[in-house]
Amino acid sequence: MKRTLAYVGERALLVLISIVVLFPIAWMFLTAFKQPRDAYSLSLVFEPTLQNFVTVFSAPWNLGSMVMNSVIVATVTVAIAVPCAALAAYSFSRFRVKGRKFLFFLILSTQFIPAVVIVLPFFLMFRQLNMLDTRLALIIVNLAIVTPFVIWMIKGFIDAIPTDSEEAAMIDGASRLRVIKDIVLPMAAPGIMTSSIFCFILTWNEFLFALILSRRDAVTLPVGLVSFRTERGDLWELMSAAGVMITVPIFIMALFIQKHFTRGMTAGAVK
Amino acid sequence: MKDRLLPYWLLIPAFIIVLATTIYPLAYSFITSFRAWDLTKSRRPEGFVGLDNYIYATSESQFLNSLWVTFIFVITSVILTVILAMALALLLRRKGPMHTFTRIILILPFAMSPALIGVSYRFMFNPEFGVIANGLGAVFPALQGVPWLADPQLAMGVLVLTDVWHWTPYMTFMCLGGLASIPRETEEAARIDGASNLRIIFGIILPQMRGVILVMAVLKTIFALKMFDQVVTLTGGGPGTSTETLAYFIFNVGFRWFDMGYASALAWILTAIMMFISIWYVRMLLSERKMATA
Repeated sequence: MKRTLAYVGERALLVLISIVVLFPIAWMFLTAFKQPRDAYSLSLVFEPTLQNFVTVFSAPWNLGSMVMNSVIVATVTVAIAVPCAALAAYSFSRFRVKGRKFLFFLILSTQFIPAVVIVLPFFLMFRQLNMLDTRLALIIVNLAIVTPFVIWMIKGFIDAIPTDSEEAAMIDGASRLRVIKDIVLPMAAPGIMTSSIFCFILTWNEFLFALILSRRDAVTLPVGLVSFRTERGDLWELMSAAGVMITVPIFIMALFIQKHFTRGMTAGAVK
Repeated sequence: MKDRLLPYWLLIPAFIIVLATTIYPLAYSFITSFRAWDLTKSRRPEGFVGLDNYIYATSESQFLNSLWVTFIFVITSVILTVILAMALALLLRRKGPMHTFTRIILILPFAMSPALIGVSYRFMFNPEFGVIANGLGAVFPALQGVPWLADPQLAMGVLVLTDVWHWTPYMTFMCLGGLASIPRETEEAARIDGASNLRIIFGIILPQMRGVILVMAVLKTIFALKMFDQVVTLTGGGPGTSTETLAYFIFNVGFRWFDMGYASALAWILTAIMMFISIWYVRMLLSERKMATA
Protein backbone atom coordinates (compact mmCIF):
# COMPACT_ATOMS: atom_id res chain seq x y z
CA MET A 1 0.00 0.00 0.00
CA LYS A 2 2.72 2.40 1.00
CA ARG A 3 4.68 1.39 -2.09
CA THR A 4 1.82 2.03 -4.51
CA LEU A 5 1.27 5.40 -2.86
CA ALA A 6 4.90 6.33 -3.42
CA TYR A 7 4.66 5.00 -6.96
CA VAL A 8 1.59 7.07 -7.77
CA GLY A 9 3.07 10.11 -6.02
CA GLU A 10 6.25 9.94 -8.03
CA ARG A 11 4.35 9.64 -11.31
CA ALA A 12 2.08 12.53 -10.37
CA LEU A 13 5.12 14.65 -9.60
CA LEU A 14 6.63 13.82 -12.99
CA VAL A 15 3.40 14.84 -14.71
CA LEU A 16 3.34 18.08 -12.73
CA ILE A 17 6.94 18.89 -13.69
CA SER A 18 6.22 18.22 -17.35
CA ILE A 19 3.22 20.55 -17.19
CA VAL A 20 5.19 23.35 -15.51
CA VAL A 21 7.91 23.03 -18.14
CA LEU A 22 5.63 22.67 -21.14
CA PHE A 23 2.83 25.04 -20.26
CA PRO A 24 4.43 28.41 -21.16
CA ILE A 25 5.62 26.97 -24.47
CA ALA A 26 2.27 25.34 -25.21
CA TRP A 27 0.39 28.55 -24.37
CA MET A 28 2.54 30.51 -26.80
CA PHE A 29 1.89 27.93 -29.52
CA LEU A 30 -1.86 28.07 -28.92
CA THR A 31 -1.88 31.86 -28.94
CA ALA A 32 -0.08 31.89 -32.27
CA PHE A 33 -3.12 30.19 -33.83
CA LYS A 34 -5.76 32.34 -32.14
CA GLN A 35 -7.66 35.24 -33.57
CA PRO A 36 -6.99 38.49 -31.69
CA ARG A 37 -10.25 38.32 -29.72
CA ASP A 38 -9.40 34.78 -28.51
CA ALA A 39 -5.81 35.72 -27.71
CA TYR A 40 -7.06 38.17 -25.09
CA SER A 41 -9.45 35.72 -23.52
CA LEU A 42 -8.46 32.62 -21.63
CA SER A 43 -10.49 30.26 -23.76
CA LEU A 44 -9.03 26.91 -24.62
CA VAL A 45 -11.77 26.47 -27.20
CA PHE A 46 -11.22 28.65 -30.23
CA GLU A 47 -11.32 28.56 -33.98
CA PRO A 48 -7.70 28.15 -35.10
CA THR A 49 -6.39 30.42 -37.79
CA LEU A 50 -3.18 30.85 -39.74
CA GLN A 51 -3.88 34.55 -40.19
CA ASN A 52 -1.22 35.60 -37.63
CA PHE A 53 1.49 33.96 -39.70
CA VAL A 54 0.24 35.67 -42.83
CA THR A 55 0.21 39.00 -40.98
CA VAL A 56 3.72 38.75 -39.51
CA PHE A 57 5.19 37.86 -42.89
CA SER A 58 3.58 40.84 -44.63
CA ALA A 59 4.23 44.57 -44.28
CA PRO A 60 4.91 46.32 -41.95
CA TRP A 61 6.30 43.41 -39.90
CA ASN A 62 8.18 41.55 -42.66
CA LEU A 63 9.25 38.66 -40.51
CA GLY A 64 10.62 37.01 -43.66
CA SER A 65 13.59 39.36 -43.77
CA MET A 66 14.28 38.71 -40.08
CA VAL A 67 14.18 34.96 -40.70
CA MET A 68 16.69 35.50 -43.51
CA ASN A 69 18.93 37.56 -41.25
CA SER A 70 18.80 34.98 -38.49
CA VAL A 71 19.49 32.10 -40.87
CA ILE A 72 22.40 33.88 -42.56
CA VAL A 73 24.00 35.16 -39.35
CA ALA A 74 23.75 31.80 -37.58
CA THR A 75 24.86 29.73 -40.58
CA VAL A 76 27.85 31.88 -41.49
CA THR A 77 28.92 32.07 -37.83
CA VAL A 78 28.84 28.27 -37.61
CA ALA A 79 30.64 27.94 -40.94
CA ILE A 80 33.51 30.13 -39.74
CA ALA A 81 33.70 29.16 -36.07
CA VAL A 82 33.43 25.37 -36.29
CA PRO A 83 36.27 24.61 -38.78
CA CYS A 84 38.65 27.03 -37.06
CA ALA A 85 37.69 25.70 -33.63
CA ALA A 86 38.03 22.06 -34.74
CA LEU A 87 41.64 22.61 -35.87
CA ALA A 88 42.51 24.42 -32.64
CA ALA A 89 40.76 21.75 -30.59
CA TYR A 90 42.80 19.03 -32.29
CA SER A 91 45.99 20.92 -31.57
CA PHE A 92 45.05 21.40 -27.91
CA SER A 93 44.05 17.76 -27.60
CA ARG A 94 47.05 16.08 -29.24
CA PHE A 95 50.09 18.36 -28.99
CA ARG A 96 52.08 19.81 -26.13
CA VAL A 97 52.38 23.29 -27.59
CA LYS A 98 54.51 25.74 -25.64
CA GLY A 99 52.35 27.98 -23.50
CA ARG A 100 49.44 25.64 -24.18
CA LYS A 101 48.05 25.94 -20.69
CA PHE A 102 48.11 29.71 -20.83
CA LEU A 103 46.50 29.80 -24.29
CA PHE A 104 43.78 27.38 -23.27
CA PHE A 105 43.10 29.33 -20.09
CA LEU A 106 42.95 32.55 -22.11
CA ILE A 107 40.35 31.02 -24.42
CA LEU A 108 38.27 29.61 -21.61
CA SER A 109 38.38 32.78 -19.56
CA THR A 110 36.80 34.74 -22.40
CA GLN A 111 33.65 32.77 -21.61
CA PHE A 112 33.33 34.60 -18.32
CA ILE A 113 33.39 38.03 -19.91
CA PRO A 114 29.95 39.64 -20.06
CA ALA A 115 28.77 40.29 -23.60
CA VAL A 116 27.91 43.87 -22.74
CA VAL A 117 31.64 44.63 -22.27
CA ILE A 118 32.45 43.41 -25.76
CA VAL A 119 29.56 45.09 -27.50
CA LEU A 120 30.48 48.62 -26.37
CA PRO A 121 33.77 48.83 -28.34
CA PHE A 122 32.23 46.96 -31.26
CA PHE A 123 29.43 49.51 -31.43
CA LEU A 124 32.01 52.32 -31.58
CA MET A 125 34.14 50.54 -34.18
CA PHE A 126 31.26 49.57 -36.44
CA ARG A 127 29.91 53.08 -36.21
CA GLN A 128 33.27 54.43 -37.36
CA LEU A 129 33.34 51.92 -40.24
CA ASN A 130 29.67 52.47 -41.18
CA MET A 131 28.99 48.82 -40.45
CA LEU A 132 26.16 49.22 -37.96
CA ASP A 133 23.00 47.39 -38.97
CA THR A 134 24.80 44.85 -41.17
CA ARG A 135 24.77 41.07 -40.92
CA LEU A 136 28.56 41.03 -41.14
CA ALA A 137 28.77 43.04 -37.92
CA LEU A 138 26.55 40.53 -36.12
CA ILE A 139 28.56 37.59 -37.46
CA ILE A 140 31.83 39.12 -36.23
CA VAL A 141 30.49 39.76 -32.74
CA ASN A 142 28.85 36.34 -32.48
CA LEU A 143 32.19 34.73 -33.30
CA ALA A 144 33.50 36.22 -30.07
CA ILE A 145 31.02 34.26 -27.97
CA VAL A 146 30.82 31.09 -30.00
CA THR A 147 34.44 30.30 -30.93
CA PRO A 148 35.85 29.63 -27.42
CA PHE A 149 32.76 27.62 -26.56
CA VAL A 150 33.10 25.42 -29.66
CA ILE A 151 36.86 24.88 -29.12
CA TRP A 152 36.05 23.67 -25.62
CA MET A 153 33.28 21.37 -26.81
CA ILE A 154 35.10 19.82 -29.76
CA LYS A 155 38.23 19.28 -27.65
CA GLY A 156 36.09 17.19 -25.31
CA PHE A 157 34.94 15.04 -28.20
CA ILE A 158 38.46 14.63 -29.68
CA ASP A 159 39.92 13.76 -26.28
CA ALA A 160 37.51 10.84 -26.17
CA ILE A 161 38.82 9.36 -29.44
CA PRO A 162 41.63 6.83 -28.88
CA THR A 163 44.89 7.72 -30.61
CA ASP A 164 45.80 4.16 -31.70
CA SER A 165 44.57 4.36 -35.27
CA GLU A 166 46.22 7.76 -35.75
CA GLU A 167 49.55 6.38 -34.59
CA ALA A 168 49.20 3.30 -36.78
CA ALA A 169 48.51 5.45 -39.84
CA MET A 170 51.52 7.63 -39.13
CA ILE A 171 53.80 4.61 -38.78
CA ASP A 172 52.52 3.63 -42.23
CA GLY A 173 53.80 6.97 -43.44
CA ALA A 174 50.67 9.13 -43.50
CA SER A 175 51.23 12.83 -42.80
CA ARG A 176 49.59 14.55 -39.83
CA LEU A 177 47.22 16.44 -42.12
CA ARG A 178 46.22 13.22 -43.87
CA VAL A 179 45.56 11.68 -40.47
CA ILE A 180 43.40 14.61 -39.45
CA LYS A 181 41.45 14.56 -42.69
CA ASP A 182 40.97 10.80 -43.11
CA ILE A 183 40.88 9.48 -39.55
CA VAL A 184 40.17 12.15 -36.95
CA LEU A 185 37.55 14.21 -38.77
CA PRO A 186 35.35 11.21 -39.69
CA MET A 187 35.59 9.87 -36.14
CA ALA A 188 34.88 13.27 -34.62
CA ALA A 189 32.07 13.99 -37.09
CA PRO A 190 29.17 13.32 -34.68
CA GLY A 191 30.82 15.54 -32.06
CA ILE A 192 31.49 18.28 -34.58
CA MET A 193 27.90 18.03 -35.77
CA THR A 194 26.65 18.37 -32.20
CA SER A 195 28.93 21.34 -31.57
CA SER A 196 27.71 22.99 -34.77
CA ILE A 197 24.12 22.65 -33.62
CA PHE A 198 24.93 24.14 -30.22
CA CYS A 199 26.75 26.95 -31.96
CA PHE A 200 23.75 27.52 -34.23
CA ILE A 201 21.30 27.59 -31.28
CA LEU A 202 23.47 30.07 -29.39
CA THR A 203 23.69 32.44 -32.36
CA TRP A 204 20.05 32.00 -33.34
CA ASN A 205 18.87 32.97 -29.85
CA GLU A 206 21.40 35.77 -29.39
CA PHE A 207 19.67 39.00 -28.42
CA LEU A 208 21.97 41.61 -26.88
CA PHE A 209 24.30 42.07 -29.87
CA ALA A 210 21.46 42.18 -32.36
CA LEU A 211 19.52 44.64 -30.21
CA ILE A 212 22.43 47.07 -30.09
CA LEU A 213 24.02 46.60 -33.50
CA SER A 214 20.96 46.41 -35.73
CA ARG A 215 18.26 48.97 -36.48
CA ARG A 216 16.25 47.94 -39.54
CA ASP A 217 18.12 45.91 -42.16
CA ALA A 218 19.93 43.34 -40.02
CA VAL A 219 17.31 42.77 -37.32
CA THR A 220 17.17 39.11 -36.26
CA LEU A 221 14.16 37.18 -34.98
CA PRO A 222 14.61 37.61 -31.19
CA VAL A 223 14.96 41.37 -31.59
CA GLY A 224 12.04 41.34 -34.00
CA LEU A 225 9.86 40.31 -31.06
CA VAL A 226 10.30 43.74 -29.53
CA SER A 227 8.79 45.39 -32.61
CA PHE A 228 5.39 43.91 -31.76
CA ARG A 229 5.19 46.37 -28.90
CA THR A 230 3.21 49.20 -30.41
CA GLU A 231 1.40 52.29 -29.20
CA ARG A 232 -1.72 50.13 -29.18
CA GLY A 233 -0.02 47.79 -26.72
CA ASP A 234 1.65 44.43 -27.18
CA LEU A 235 0.27 42.41 -30.06
CA TRP A 236 0.44 39.03 -28.35
CA GLU A 237 -0.97 36.89 -31.11
CA LEU A 238 1.65 38.23 -33.54
CA MET A 239 4.44 37.96 -30.97
CA SER A 240 3.44 34.35 -30.41
CA ALA A 241 3.46 33.61 -34.12
CA ALA A 242 6.97 35.06 -34.33
CA GLY A 243 7.87 33.06 -31.22
CA VAL A 244 6.80 29.86 -32.96
CA MET A 245 9.03 30.75 -35.91
CA ILE A 246 11.97 31.21 -33.53
CA THR A 247 11.30 28.07 -31.53
CA VAL A 248 10.40 25.31 -33.98
CA PRO A 249 13.73 24.98 -35.81
CA ILE A 250 15.64 25.08 -32.52
CA PHE A 251 13.46 22.46 -30.85
CA ILE A 252 13.95 20.12 -33.79
CA MET A 253 17.70 20.55 -33.53
CA ALA A 254 17.69 20.21 -29.74
CA LEU A 255 15.82 16.91 -29.90
CA PHE A 256 18.18 15.75 -32.59
CA ILE A 257 21.20 16.14 -30.29
CA GLN A 258 19.24 15.18 -27.18
CA LYS A 259 21.70 12.47 -26.13
CA HIS A 260 24.63 14.86 -26.25
CA PHE A 261 22.77 17.69 -24.64
CA THR A 262 24.25 17.48 -21.17
CA ARG A 263 27.61 16.37 -22.34
CA GLY A 264 27.86 19.31 -24.67
CA MET A 265 26.70 21.96 -22.29
CA THR A 266 28.69 20.69 -19.34
CA ALA A 267 31.82 19.79 -21.31
CA GLY A 268 34.69 20.54 -19.00
CA ALA A 269 32.52 22.34 -16.50
CA VAL A 270 32.23 19.43 -14.09
CA LYS A 271 35.79 18.24 -14.56
CA MET B 1 60.36 20.92 -39.58
CA LYS B 2 56.98 21.34 -41.20
CA ASP B 3 55.43 18.86 -38.81
CA ARG B 4 56.97 20.58 -35.80
CA LEU B 5 55.16 23.81 -36.56
CA LEU B 6 51.88 22.16 -37.45
CA PRO B 7 50.41 22.40 -33.92
CA TYR B 8 50.84 26.16 -34.12
CA TRP B 9 49.39 26.46 -37.60
CA LEU B 10 46.30 24.65 -36.42
CA LEU B 11 45.83 27.18 -33.64
CA ILE B 12 46.26 30.28 -35.75
CA PRO B 13 42.80 30.66 -37.34
CA ALA B 14 41.01 30.31 -34.00
CA PHE B 15 43.46 32.67 -32.37
CA ILE B 16 43.00 35.34 -34.96
CA ILE B 17 39.27 35.16 -34.22
CA VAL B 18 39.72 35.34 -30.45
CA LEU B 19 42.24 38.18 -30.70
CA ALA B 20 40.13 40.23 -33.08
CA THR B 21 36.76 39.62 -31.47
CA THR B 22 37.62 39.47 -27.78
CA ILE B 23 41.09 40.60 -26.78
CA TYR B 24 41.15 43.70 -28.96
CA PRO B 25 37.68 44.97 -27.96
CA LEU B 26 38.49 44.30 -24.33
CA ALA B 27 41.61 46.42 -24.54
CA TYR B 28 39.64 49.09 -26.38
CA SER B 29 36.93 49.24 -23.75
CA PHE B 30 39.50 49.22 -20.94
CA ILE B 31 41.12 52.33 -22.41
CA THR B 32 37.73 53.91 -23.02
CA SER B 33 36.87 53.39 -19.35
CA PHE B 34 39.49 56.02 -18.44
CA ARG B 35 38.17 58.57 -20.90
CA ALA B 36 35.36 61.06 -20.96
CA TRP B 37 33.38 60.22 -24.06
CA ASP B 38 29.86 61.43 -24.57
CA LEU B 39 28.75 60.25 -28.00
CA THR B 40 26.05 62.87 -28.23
CA LYS B 41 28.67 65.59 -28.00
CA SER B 42 31.67 64.14 -29.76
CA ARG B 43 32.25 61.54 -32.48
CA ARG B 44 35.80 60.98 -31.25
CA PRO B 45 37.00 60.05 -27.79
CA GLU B 46 37.69 62.99 -25.54
CA GLY B 47 40.52 63.31 -23.05
CA PHE B 48 41.67 60.94 -20.38
CA VAL B 49 40.12 61.49 -16.97
CA GLY B 50 41.98 58.87 -15.00
CA LEU B 51 39.79 57.00 -12.54
CA ASP B 52 36.98 59.56 -12.63
CA ASN B 53 34.46 57.18 -14.22
CA TYR B 54 35.14 54.54 -11.58
CA ILE B 55 35.07 57.04 -8.72
CA TYR B 56 31.82 58.51 -9.99
CA ALA B 57 30.26 55.03 -9.89
CA THR B 58 30.90 54.64 -6.14
CA SER B 59 28.50 57.47 -5.34
CA GLU B 60 26.00 57.27 -8.19
CA SER B 61 22.66 56.11 -6.88
CA GLN B 62 21.42 54.39 -10.04
CA PHE B 63 24.56 52.30 -10.27
CA LEU B 64 24.36 51.38 -6.60
CA ASN B 65 20.71 50.49 -7.11
CA SER B 66 21.57 48.21 -10.03
CA LEU B 67 24.24 46.54 -7.91
CA TRP B 68 21.68 45.85 -5.20
CA VAL B 69 19.07 44.62 -7.71
CA THR B 70 21.67 42.30 -9.27
CA PHE B 71 22.63 40.99 -5.85
CA ILE B 72 19.03 40.14 -4.95
CA PHE B 73 18.40 38.58 -8.34
CA VAL B 74 21.57 36.47 -8.28
CA ILE B 75 21.10 35.20 -4.72
CA THR B 76 17.47 34.17 -5.11
CA SER B 77 17.79 32.66 -8.56
CA VAL B 78 20.95 30.71 -7.71
CA ILE B 79 19.55 29.26 -4.49
CA LEU B 80 16.22 28.31 -6.03
CA THR B 81 17.75 26.85 -9.18
CA VAL B 82 20.30 24.72 -7.34
CA ILE B 83 17.81 23.31 -4.83
CA LEU B 84 15.17 22.58 -7.46
CA ALA B 85 17.69 21.06 -9.84
CA MET B 86 19.02 18.78 -7.12
CA ALA B 87 15.50 17.67 -6.18
CA LEU B 88 14.54 17.06 -9.81
CA ALA B 89 17.71 15.09 -10.46
CA LEU B 90 17.05 12.82 -7.46
CA LEU B 91 13.58 12.19 -8.84
CA LEU B 92 14.67 11.67 -12.44
CA ARG B 93 17.63 9.46 -11.65
CA ARG B 94 15.45 6.35 -11.68
CA LYS B 95 14.74 4.66 -14.97
CA GLY B 96 11.32 4.37 -16.56
CA PRO B 97 9.42 5.58 -19.59
CA MET B 98 7.92 8.56 -17.75
CA HIS B 99 11.29 9.54 -16.37
CA THR B 100 12.77 9.46 -19.87
CA PHE B 101 9.89 11.47 -21.24
CA THR B 102 10.27 14.14 -18.54
CA ARG B 103 13.99 14.31 -19.21
CA ILE B 104 13.36 14.99 -22.90
CA ILE B 105 10.79 17.67 -22.04
CA LEU B 106 13.38 19.32 -19.80
CA ILE B 107 15.59 20.07 -22.80
CA LEU B 108 13.05 22.50 -24.22
CA PRO B 109 13.31 25.52 -21.87
CA PHE B 110 17.03 25.68 -22.25
CA ALA B 111 16.83 25.61 -26.03
CA MET B 112 14.32 28.45 -25.98
CA SER B 113 15.38 32.00 -26.77
CA PRO B 114 15.70 33.92 -23.46
CA ALA B 115 14.19 37.00 -25.09
CA LEU B 116 11.16 34.94 -26.05
CA ILE B 117 10.90 33.52 -22.53
CA GLY B 118 10.66 37.07 -21.21
CA VAL B 119 7.96 37.93 -23.74
CA SER B 120 5.93 34.80 -22.93
CA TYR B 121 6.01 35.41 -19.18
CA ARG B 122 5.05 39.04 -19.70
CA PHE B 123 2.02 37.81 -21.59
CA MET B 124 1.11 35.19 -19.00
CA PHE B 125 1.44 37.57 -16.06
CA ASN B 126 -0.68 40.30 -17.59
CA PRO B 127 -3.33 40.99 -14.92
CA GLU B 128 -6.17 41.34 -17.44
CA PHE B 129 -5.76 38.43 -19.82
CA GLY B 130 -2.62 36.65 -18.65
CA VAL B 131 -3.25 32.96 -18.11
CA ILE B 132 -1.04 32.60 -15.02
CA ALA B 133 -2.25 35.82 -13.42
CA ASN B 134 -5.87 34.77 -13.91
CA GLY B 135 -5.23 31.13 -13.04
CA LEU B 136 -3.67 32.14 -9.74
CA GLY B 137 -6.55 34.53 -9.13
CA ALA B 138 -9.06 31.74 -9.70
CA VAL B 139 -7.35 29.35 -7.29
CA PHE B 140 -6.40 31.96 -4.66
CA PRO B 141 -9.00 34.74 -4.58
CA ALA B 142 -6.54 36.94 -2.69
CA LEU B 143 -4.36 37.03 -5.80
CA GLN B 144 -7.12 38.29 -8.07
CA GLY B 145 -6.09 41.29 -10.15
CA VAL B 146 -2.61 41.49 -8.64
CA PRO B 147 -0.49 43.76 -10.88
CA TRP B 148 2.41 41.32 -11.11
CA LEU B 149 4.72 43.39 -13.26
CA ALA B 150 3.71 46.80 -11.93
CA ASP B 151 4.78 46.07 -8.36
CA PRO B 152 8.54 46.29 -7.69
CA GLN B 153 8.82 43.19 -5.50
CA LEU B 154 6.46 41.06 -7.55
CA ALA B 155 8.17 42.05 -10.80
CA MET B 156 11.47 40.90 -9.32
CA GLY B 157 9.74 37.66 -8.32
CA VAL B 158 8.51 37.07 -11.86
CA LEU B 159 11.97 37.86 -13.25
CA VAL B 160 13.53 35.30 -10.90
CA LEU B 161 10.82 32.81 -11.85
CA THR B 162 11.57 33.10 -15.57
CA ASP B 163 15.26 32.61 -14.88
CA VAL B 164 14.64 29.59 -12.63
CA TRP B 165 12.36 28.11 -15.28
CA HIS B 166 15.02 28.66 -17.92
CA TRP B 167 18.02 27.28 -16.01
CA THR B 168 16.72 24.57 -13.68
CA PRO B 169 16.56 21.96 -16.46
CA TYR B 170 20.17 22.56 -17.47
CA MET B 171 21.32 22.38 -13.86
CA THR B 172 19.25 19.21 -13.41
CA PHE B 173 21.25 17.59 -16.18
CA MET B 174 24.46 18.64 -14.44
CA CYS B 175 23.19 17.03 -11.22
CA LEU B 176 22.22 13.86 -13.08
CA GLY B 177 25.74 13.73 -14.47
CA GLY B 178 27.12 14.11 -10.95
CA LEU B 179 24.76 11.50 -9.50
CA ALA B 180 25.72 9.02 -12.21
CA SER B 181 29.38 9.30 -11.30
CA ILE B 182 29.09 8.56 -7.57
CA PRO B 183 29.33 4.89 -6.56
CA ARG B 184 26.09 3.28 -5.42
CA GLU B 185 27.50 0.77 -2.92
CA THR B 186 27.29 2.88 0.23
CA GLU B 187 23.79 3.91 -0.63
CA GLU B 188 22.67 0.34 -1.19
CA ALA B 189 24.34 -0.83 2.01
CA ALA B 190 22.53 1.88 3.95
CA ARG B 191 19.26 0.93 2.30
CA ILE B 192 19.71 -2.69 3.35
CA ASP B 193 20.38 -1.45 6.89
CA GLY B 194 17.00 0.24 6.70
CA ALA B 195 18.06 3.88 6.41
CA SER B 196 15.24 6.21 5.31
CA ASN B 197 15.29 7.98 1.98
CA LEU B 198 15.86 11.34 3.62
CA ARG B 199 18.82 10.02 5.58
CA ILE B 200 20.30 8.53 2.44
CA ILE B 201 19.89 11.80 0.54
CA PHE B 202 21.26 14.08 3.23
CA GLY B 203 23.76 11.68 4.79
CA ILE B 204 25.20 9.94 1.75
CA ILE B 205 24.28 11.49 -1.59
CA LEU B 206 24.54 15.21 -0.91
CA PRO B 207 27.99 15.07 0.76
CA GLN B 208 29.32 13.28 -2.31
CA MET B 209 27.71 15.86 -4.60
CA ARG B 210 29.43 18.79 -2.92
CA GLY B 211 31.80 19.40 -5.82
CA VAL B 212 29.05 19.34 -8.44
CA ILE B 213 26.81 21.60 -6.37
CA LEU B 214 29.63 24.10 -5.98
CA VAL B 215 30.31 24.11 -9.73
CA MET B 216 26.61 24.60 -10.41
CA ALA B 217 26.29 27.44 -7.96
CA VAL B 218 29.24 29.31 -9.40
CA LEU B 219 28.27 28.76 -13.03
CA LYS B 220 24.72 29.85 -12.26
CA THR B 221 26.05 32.93 -10.46
CA ILE B 222 28.05 33.92 -13.52
CA PHE B 223 25.11 33.34 -15.85
CA ALA B 224 22.81 35.30 -13.53
CA LEU B 225 25.25 38.21 -13.40
CA LYS B 226 25.21 38.37 -17.21
CA MET B 227 21.45 37.96 -17.52
CA PHE B 228 20.08 40.63 -19.80
CA ASP B 229 17.55 39.45 -22.38
CA GLN B 230 14.64 38.79 -20.04
CA VAL B 231 15.06 42.14 -18.31
CA VAL B 232 14.54 43.86 -21.65
CA THR B 233 11.59 41.75 -22.78
CA LEU B 234 9.89 41.10 -19.43
CA THR B 235 10.16 44.19 -17.27
CA GLY B 236 12.29 46.73 -19.14
CA GLY B 237 14.06 47.31 -15.82
CA GLY B 238 10.81 48.49 -14.25
CA PRO B 239 8.64 49.36 -12.53
CA GLY B 240 10.90 52.31 -11.85
CA THR B 241 14.36 50.85 -11.55
CA SER B 242 13.33 47.88 -9.43
CA THR B 243 14.55 45.23 -11.88
CA GLU B 244 17.36 47.22 -13.45
CA THR B 245 20.24 44.75 -13.19
CA LEU B 246 23.85 45.78 -13.71
CA ALA B 247 24.00 44.43 -17.28
CA TYR B 248 20.83 46.33 -18.16
CA PHE B 249 22.06 49.50 -16.49
CA ILE B 250 25.30 49.36 -18.48
CA PHE B 251 23.21 48.99 -21.63
CA ASN B 252 21.21 52.07 -20.68
CA VAL B 253 24.27 54.16 -19.92
CA GLY B 254 25.89 53.14 -23.19
CA PHE B 255 23.01 53.12 -25.63
CA ARG B 256 20.42 55.48 -24.19
CA TRP B 257 22.65 58.09 -22.58
CA PHE B 258 25.59 57.36 -24.94
CA ASP B 259 28.09 57.94 -22.13
CA MET B 260 30.72 55.55 -23.46
CA GLY B 261 33.40 56.27 -20.90
CA TYR B 262 31.15 55.64 -17.92
CA ALA B 263 29.51 52.60 -19.56
CA SER B 264 32.94 51.07 -20.22
CA ALA B 265 33.99 51.63 -16.62
CA LEU B 266 30.78 49.97 -15.37
CA ALA B 267 31.30 47.09 -17.79
CA TRP B 268 34.75 46.56 -16.32
CA ILE B 269 33.36 46.60 -12.80
CA LEU B 270 30.99 43.81 -13.84
CA THR B 271 33.88 41.95 -15.47
CA ALA B 272 35.95 42.34 -12.31
CA ILE B 273 33.15 40.88 -10.19
CA MET B 274 32.85 37.90 -12.54
CA MET B 275 36.63 37.38 -12.63
CA PHE B 276 36.78 37.49 -8.86
CA ILE B 277 34.09 34.82 -8.63
CA SER B 278 35.71 32.63 -11.29
CA ILE B 279 39.14 32.79 -9.67
CA TRP B 280 37.66 32.03 -6.28
CA TYR B 281 35.79 29.15 -7.92
CA VAL B 282 38.89 27.67 -9.56
CA ARG B 283 40.73 27.83 -6.23
CA MET B 284 37.86 26.14 -4.43
CA LEU B 285 37.85 23.41 -7.07
CA LEU B 286 41.57 22.88 -6.70
CA SER B 287 41.35 22.58 -2.93
CA GLU B 288 38.40 20.18 -3.34
CA ARG B 289 40.56 18.02 -5.56
CA LYS B 290 43.43 18.14 -3.08
CA MET B 291 41.08 17.02 -0.34
CA ALA B 292 39.80 14.22 -2.54
CA THR B 293 43.27 12.90 -3.29
CA ALA B 294 44.59 13.37 0.25
